Amino acid sequence: MNARKTSGIAALAALGLLSLGAAPRKDEAPKHQVPRSKDGDVVIALCDGETTLEVDGVKDPSKIDRKKAQEISNHLMSEWRKKNPNAHWDDPAPVLLANAQPPTPPQATKAPVANQGQSASSNADAVQKKQDANVQAGHTYGAFSARDEALWKASAEQIVQEGHKVFHDAKELGSTVAVSCDMCHPDASNTHPETYPKYQVQLGRVALLRDMINWCIENPVRGKPLAEDDPRMKAMEAYIYAQRKGVKLEYGKH
Amino acid sequence: MKALTCMAVLAWGGTALAGEASPPKFPIGVSAALYDISVPPDRRPTPERVALGEKLFNDKRLSADDSVSCATCHDPKRAFTDGKATSVGIKNQVGQRNSPTVLNALFAATQFWDGRAGTLEEQAMLPILNPIEMGMPSPEAVVAKVKGIPEYRTEFQKVFGREPNYDDLASAIAAFERMQFSGNARFDRFLAGDAKALNASEKRGWALFNGKARCNTCHAGNAVSPLFSDQKFHNIGIAAHKQDFPKLAAEALKIVRTGDEKQIDELALETKFSELGRFLVTKNENDIGGFKTPTLRNVGVTGPYMHDGSLTTLWDVVDHYNKGGIANPFLDGGMQRLGLTEPEIDDLVAFMFALTADDFSQLEKQELARQRARKNIRPERDTAAALGKKGNLGDLAPNPNLDIKNPAELGLYGPVRSPEK
Repeated sequence: MNARKTSGIAALAALGLLSLGAAPRKDEAPKHQVPRSKDGDVVIALCDGETTLEVDGVKDPSKIDRKKAQEISNHLMSEWRKKNPNAHWDDPAPVLLANAQPPTPPQATKAPVANQGQSASSNADAVQKKQDANVQAGHTYGAFSARDEALWKASAEQIVQEGHKVFHDAKELGSTVAVSCDMCHPDASNTHPETYPKYQVQLGRVALLRDMINWCIENPVRGKPLAEDDPRMKAMEAYIYAQRKGVKLEYGKH
Repeated sequence: MKALTCMAVLAWGGTALAGEASPPKFPIGVSAALYDISVPPDRRPTPERVALGEKLFNDKRLSADDSVSCATCHDPKRAFTDGKATSVGIKNQVGQRNSPTVLNALFAATQFWDGRAGTLEEQAMLPILNPIEMGMPSPEAVVAKVKGIPEYRTEFQKVFGREPNYDDLASAIAAFERMQFSGNARFDRFLAGDAKALNASEKRGWALFNGKARCNTCHAGNAVSPLFSDQKFHNIGIAAHKQDFPKLAAEALKIVRTGDEKQIDELALETKFSELGRFLVTKNENDIGGFKTPTLRNVGVTGPYMHDGSLTTLWDVVDHYNKGGIANPFLDGGMQRLGLTEPEIDDLVAFMFALTADDFSQLEKQELARQRARKNIRPERDTAAALGKKGNLGDLAPNPNLDIKNPAELGLYGPVRSPEK
């Protein structure tokens, strides 16, 4: 069954690829039918089920390096743009890695080094005033300090950075054709995390962002899907969401 | 991944501003973000201060009878601890508190088991003056003694451009301590993507740590905050059996002068009031018997455990938590019976040992052997209580659910990146 491009389909262009000789999958998900090359070259197809590209003279997908993969991606994507001039398409805007504001760490201690005698740091309030450290005022839970909040922020930032790494690293994604996410989605553009859950034609069902990430990993990236709780999956979701900070949530939008 | 050595010669950058050094280079497992939060730019150590601080740290002449230095209780060879239950000062006087490690103390929100000092500088001043630790009568006496040593006169002149004084002495020691960060553990390599850095038992331990064993309630850790401590104060029931807390607290209220650091220091080390913990600092009823969550970095080599060193091995520690601590009116609400089985306890201990820096691998072997040898001497073990078959904790915790799956078996807590092939 072919996924036909209709005006309702999200303008989410990704590469599809036929796994030659792969056993048919048990589930009902639509499969791409990619024309075979007469010379046994690698054929790469877009997720619209129509656009394909024969990579001349390349018989073995593992011979494709990052540069070549980027060229293939660019070619297919521009073909798709020609066919779909009216698609909802994000103009590539310079998206900064992690739009979230990096945390401003609190001053560990605002007091200058004391120059006279004992300080009254055993007075809980004074300690707090002096260093923004958590001083427990008679209860443990919810007694959070600026220090705690700075650490939470930095922790979230760290997983976004980790996601950035995975998103840009074909090897990390287990790609056999040197394709990484950023090749079709520079700076995570056109990933539209804010529109999930939504019906995805490629999957033939309502999908969450992580399902779509896995679809991309299986098809254009040509790797093995990640477990839902794989740290790489969590990191990628974090990165993709971070790039859309402030965008209105609209589940189901196409 | 090649391990860096923690004590590698550090490259200091040029000074950005007068008196401000750049942050040092960190080994894996030490968080630059946490350093920025913990060390204000004007307190970044300079090589000169660190060298002077190290000398002072190891100098027994800072004590009344030239017999005790900082390093006596914080021995660098023993991961900056002394291995004793509670520390021993001049004239063999025994204190009430266990000597915590200096490693990573620079990241702590407060210093001492009860957080009575806010900074490393203030912390360094107190043991020198405590009658049973280093026993110097007053700051003036310390300064006079240091001034009497010609080499220090020159050093202080060189580093601070003035005669020795007590504040400068403390800030030199603090500068040395701020270089004692420690990462470089097997766990760090695991977190950075080396799946083989931990064995199966240690991985199960990490999952239990974040799951069934509930350690991360207070000891949560990640790459940004790798201390494994919330830096808060909790009553977990240690020593509750030998105290009548309410009576003790009422007595203490009559005596404790809030804000008198030196008095609290002496009460904490020399009197029965030591067990009141954080209460001495805040005079807050809820803080009775509360002690700071210590870092778990290098925990395998920094025993014995708890504020009074009353638990000998990590097995004892897990036994203590497994039965929900020791009931007392001020027990922390987060304490529950855990229902950990014996193999699970072994996994947890294995994980904790994986937080030891490579520098101490020799010490780690020794300590692990020593603790293993005691595996069947388990004073804190109460399996029936731990499994919820005995006793009633009232509203403290439901009986443990023994059907909780170990998240490790569900593929959680894997490495962030797959290992290099």
